[in-house]
Amino acid sequence: MGKHVVGRVSAIPPGDRRIFEAEGRSIGIFNVGGEFFAIRNSCPHQAAPLCLGSIKGMTMPSKPGEYIWAREGEILRCPWHGWEFDIKTGRSIFNPHRTRVKAYDVTVEDHVDGIEDDESVETYDVSVEDGWIVLHV
Amino acid sequence: MVTASQDLTTNKNARSGIIDCDVHPSPVHIDEIRSYLPMPWRDRYRGGGRGFFGNPVHGSRLDSNPPNGGPAGSDPDFTRKQLIDEFGTAYAVLLPRAFCNVQPDPDLGTAVAAAFNDWLADTWLSKHNADGVFKGSITINVHDPIAAAKEIDRWAGHPHFVQVMTDSGARAPFGQRQYYPIYEACERNSLRFAVHPGTDGMGINVQPSPGYPTHYIEWHTCLSLSFQAHLVSILTEGVFERFPGLGITLTEGGVSWLPALMWRLDAEWKALRSEVPWLTKAPSAYLKDHVRLSSQPLEDPDNSKHLLQMLDMMDAEHILMFASDYPHWDFDSPTHAFPRLPEQLHKRIFSETAREWYGLPADTV
Repeated sequence: MGKHVVGRVSAIPPGDRRIFEAEGRSIGIFNVGGEFFAIRNSCPHQAAPLCLGSIKGMTMPSKPGEYIWAREGEILRCPWHGWEFDIKTGRSIFNPHRTRVKAYDVTVEDHVDGIEDDESVETYDVSVEDGWIVLHV
Repeated sequence: MVTASQDLTTNKNARSGIIDCDVHPSPVHIDEIRSYLPMPWRDRYRGGGRGFFGNPVHGSRLDSNPPNGGPAGSDPDFTRKQLIDEFGTAYAVLLPRAFCNVQPDPDLGTAVAAAFNDWLADTWLSKHNADGVFKGSITINVHDPIAAAKEIDRWAGHPHFVQVMTDSGARAPFGQRQYYPIYEACERNSLRFAVHPGTDGMGINVQPSPGYPTHYIEWHTCLSLSFQAHLVSILTEGVFERFPGLGITLTEGGVSWLPALMWRLDAEWKALRSEVPWLTKAPSAYLKDHVRLSSQPLEDPDNSKHLLQMLDMMDAEHILMFASDYPHWDFDSPTHAFPRLPEQLHKRIFSETAREWYGLPADTV
């Protein structure tokens, strides 16, 4: 169990994702409308790099012949077989109870011990105003 | 320690001797194929496959686009990295997607088939094949059997073509006599005849169903119906009595339907044998000598014991060969698609059966 500072908030704009290695695991961190979520980068089906998938909405439960498109930006589709996962929970859409991918907590912190406010842990541009993204594994 | 990472490859296996029976190479651009076409076909050919029943999600693995551009499966070096090296594949059997069977003009379909063969021979099977890992399939236009037979003969003796291939979408079931020039050519050149989904229900071709389904999920699920219809036709028409050296590879047609279909056909044969008196044994008894199925898309029941039972029922040890379908969306991973198999069965499915079927030399690496 560890706390990992992965970068500044501005490094992952809304609608985007980045993939990190932490404690030997590949983990994707997603910015969904300004909130951060993390899930393991391995599909429970055939171990595809899940977090490289497309970020979409989904067709909601509906009557036959009716289409209700919702949750834009909250659904991750596996890059291989297209299975849908809820980015916020790691649960699959087709069977949320049995088919799920490990989700991790992410927090945004203004100050992190041991890291100066002007220090960058990544090579991408950061602004000193925004906070740090912290992944809890 | 946290590092940003784009390279997500998992464990690197030692070279395991896997033979992957369904890998798709693609030209970088359709002009590459057109450059092999004589006029007037160069002007006429615009590429294209099926106009509808496209996958609504994505057609190829999203991580399979080559970093240097071009469509999925168009960069042999990237296919090597992502498939061959990743899983330690000894041989990959390549099936290009020319979709000739959808062409109403037989001369155009035949010209396109020849152009794909020239392209494959000049690129994946030579320039990018120093170690011989890539084995090719000769594309034919099955609707022009005489021309198809000539095309097969044109490649006689090529060191890396191991089979002839056609789309499963056809105007008539493959047991019927108009196709026999193709089977004669396969037999005299010691080449297997492979059937792969494509062009089913696309205008001039028929999907054996009561009509056009509404959704891709229906169309894709029912692709196995073509294979069942072709196999019943081939067996009952006595194709293997006429061409005892012929072998048919059923690629990407599904797997688990086989035992039930054979039970049904054998039961029918007991009553109706007199209609097809040329059969010298029960239809299912021809499979071991003449038919192989490739595994992808492998069915995936909740209880994997059921799949193992099915593999036993179908004599998978002798007739099933692993395939991944790389780089397509329904890729089956060599390490994750199957439940744990007994060692001997694993060896047969992933390597030995295909090695014997295609006459491939033992892996020397």
